[in-house]
Amino acid sequence: MSGYYAGIVILTCVNLLSALGLSLLTGFTGSFCFGQAGFMAVGAYVSTILTMRYAAPFPGALLAGVLASTLVSIPLGYPTLRLKGDYFAIATLGFAEAVRLIVENLEKITGGSRGIPSIPTHTTLPVILIITLLCIWLIRNYVSSRHGRNCVAIREDEMAAQAIAVNTFRYKQISFAINAALAGLSGGFLAHYVGFIQPSMFGIQKSTELIVMVIFGGMHSVTGAVLAAIILTALPEALRAASAWRLVVYGAVVVLIMVVRPEGLLGSWELSVASVQDLWIRLRTRFSTQ
Amino acid sequence: MALLEIKNLSKFFGGVKAVDDFTYSLDRGHLHAIIGPNGAGKTTIFNLITGIYKPTQGDIYFDGQRTTGLQAYQIAKKGIARTFQNIRLFSEFSVLDNVRTACHQRASYSVMEGLFPTPRRLRQEKELTNHAHELLELVGLADRATEKSKNLPYGHQRRLEIARALALEPRLLLLDEPAAGMNPDETEKLMEFIEEIKEKFDLTILLIEHHMEVVMELCDDIVVIDFGKTIAWGTPEEIQSNPVVIEAYLGVGEEA
Amino acid sequence: MILQQIINGISIGAVYALIAVGYSLVYSVLNFSNFAHGDILMLGSYLGFFALTKLGVPFWLAMVVAMVGAGIVAIVMDKIGYRPLRLRKAPLLYLMISAMGISIFLQNFTIVTIGPNFRTYPDIFPPQPIAVGELSIGRLDLIIFAITVISLALLTWFIYGTKMGSAIQAAAYSMDVASLMGINPDLIVSVVFFLAGATAGIGGVLFGMKYTVYPWMGMLTIKAFIAAVVGGLGSLPGAVLGAFILGITETFAAAYVSSAFRDLFSYALMTIIIVVRPAGLMGTIAQEKA
Repeated sequence: MSGYYAGIVILTCVNLLSALGLSLLTGFTGSFCFGQAGFMAVGAYVSTILTMRYAAPFPGALLAGVLASTLVSIPLGYPTLRLKGDYFAIATLGFAEAVRLIVENLEKITGGSRGIPSIPTHTTLPVILIITLLCIWLIRNYVSSRHGRNCVAIREDEMAAQAIAVNTFRYKQISFAINAALAGLSGGFLAHYVGFIQPSMFGIQKSTELIVMVIFGGMHSVTGAVLAAIILTALPEALRAASAWRLVVYGAVVVLIMVVRPEGLLGSWELSVASVQDLWIRLRTRFSTQ
Repeated sequence: MALLEIKNLSKFFGGVKAVDDFTYSLDRGHLHAIIGPNGAGKTTIFNLITGIYKPTQGDIYFDGQRTTGLQAYQIAKKGIARTFQNIRLFSEFSVLDNVRTACHQRASYSVMEGLFPTPRRLRQEKELTNHAHELLELVGLADRATEKSKNLPYGHQRRLEIARALALEPRLLLLDEPAAGMNPDETEKLMEFIEEIKEKFDLTILLIEHHMEVVMELCDDIVVIDFGKTIAWGTPEEIQSNPVVIEAYLGVGEEA
Repeated sequence: MILQQIINGISIGAVYALIAVGYSLVYSVLNFSNFAHGDILMLGSYLGFFALTKLGVPFWLAMVVAMVGAGIVAIVMDKIGYRPLRLRKAPLLYLMISAMGISIFLQNFTIVTIGPNFRTYPDIFPPQPIAVGELSIGRLDLIIFAITVISLALLTWFIYGTKMGSAIQAAAYSMDVASLMGINPDLIVSVVFFLAGATAGIGGVLFGMKYTVYPWMGMLTIKAFIAAVVGGLGSLPGAVLGAFILGITETFAAAYVSSAFRDLFSYALMTIIIVVRPAGLMGTIAQEKA
């Protein structure tokens, strides 16, 4: 595969990993997270500092990045997940901003607003592809487990979820931690593919793109989030669309989706052997005239 | 010993005394009811029992254990299930999944196992699904298992909510106006159903209801409240002949 | 010295108060955090700016243009992005997402049409500060404070002294009850959004005069939220109180600890309040009815 296309696939996987986490947290569990880029930044910077300053092996550095972003989610979620969704949303927004601020001002460690250049490109296509597919599989499993159903119950009606003995706070914490882990992983891969990182890469624009993917593809469908991540990463690359106009369209589309079809593209439809068979049967009966 | 003991329960919202010094107890295996005019505080009492509200004063004991101040999910875990006045189903879920989700306590596999399809998990899921199907059969919704619960007609939604509550395998079941919006025929069937599940699952049931024939015919024990305070407590015969109750509630226009 | 910093804090606190009060007003009636509130402020700021520079109108007229313009934008925002969802009794999550979409749209639309450059309001007032004893108070700061006080006084009169204001108070308590009493809920919502927009518009002009005008001013929503939370979400006096506390805390932190981390201190303040007293200083947490 030529370098250009390989690059698109890698970038798609990077976005996909983050979108996967958001799909679980915001889509399935219903906790609106507006600061995904902050977690990506944590993963990116921690892994980069380890590989570049301490000559750590890539897998270990990546894991450290994942651990760091997961650990950060705990104190962030603890006070905010107990309260109404607004608090959590703003807190995550504030968190992403805070990360950016801290990174910009700790110049000695993070290179400040100019960032860290010349990062070794450890991210290879087969590795990230396999890990991404693995993560999709893991999240699909989680969502169809009793824990995943409890998350959806929380999203649908938190009071009723409590009434069926679901510890809603705990589950929200878990979804938040999984999301942070995936975002940290995504950030680590990104840093070691692009070859440099700057705080401006992890601003509100990034958080926005990611959450738009989840909204677009369907908040109730992992398949939808995957498809949306693919479309919304590959398409702009192909069209070379100007960055700001793209976001104007995204903003309008998000409102349109909420007003017209909040379930997103796929609703709750998930890709599986059973659902494909079902679809096939329905298409056949629709198009046969007997 | 009574299964549920409520002692001097009060709930004040600012200056409003929604529940004022309410005392009641539920005997095992019996069918109890709280009746009273709209706004008397009945649902507030339910919310206090189930932990949605914390009492301003007073205590609640379930099977001898103090549950005052526990979180709602902890109280549900202890074996108190409920339905809601304004049905609260998980609308995006199918009929089956509404019940299946509530069966989650029957399984024990961890969050980590949630990420992998282990044999133990698959086995437990199967068992869980079977149990959910049984409950749907019980309420007559087995043939609509895959439909989205928000598409069910009103009466079916109520039945589904009861099935979901039963999935918790509770010892105490709180039903908030289960017959609301039902015609006499449906109400009759519901009464039979409530009797049936009480026997079958060895339940203690507490009802909030406005349909007086349901209450008087089914219940072993009734408490009447108005403005958050108890105005009478006794058997259906005693309540029906109590002048205070008749004046405050039963005699005022033959509704229900 | 301390008194000087307090004055600076009050100055920025006054601007925050204008933003926070509008935010809290919408929240108290609709139980919903309008994440696009800061973007209304941004538009008001630009409107005032262009009225002054392109149309050359006197200051007071530019203020009116900003006020009315922002108020109208707020009403339109509601009609397009929120009302359809409210009518469908959509969950809070969808409203938040729609608000995010509107925010992204407005922010980026401004970037691509007007441009990302920072604009400075012309110096309308003589820049020499007034000396009061050892203190020096900027004329602009005095004007800001005066305008804020007048605006808040007018708002207070409107809400507590007019029939429509009483209707708003009733709706804040319960929209259903208010509509049962013959009050048109749509009209109330429109008035509330207009008021919120108008105060934000004024705040935008003042902020633009004190600092600069730029498309990302929407991020001030976070400040509005923090102020409202500190004072008690849904309480108007609380919002004002919270705003001044926020302004003073920020200013002190910036002056005595680090100006780079100014925003971090506001996040820290919010965290403390959420953990210690989530209802805020003057608010109560409304319990959901079962």
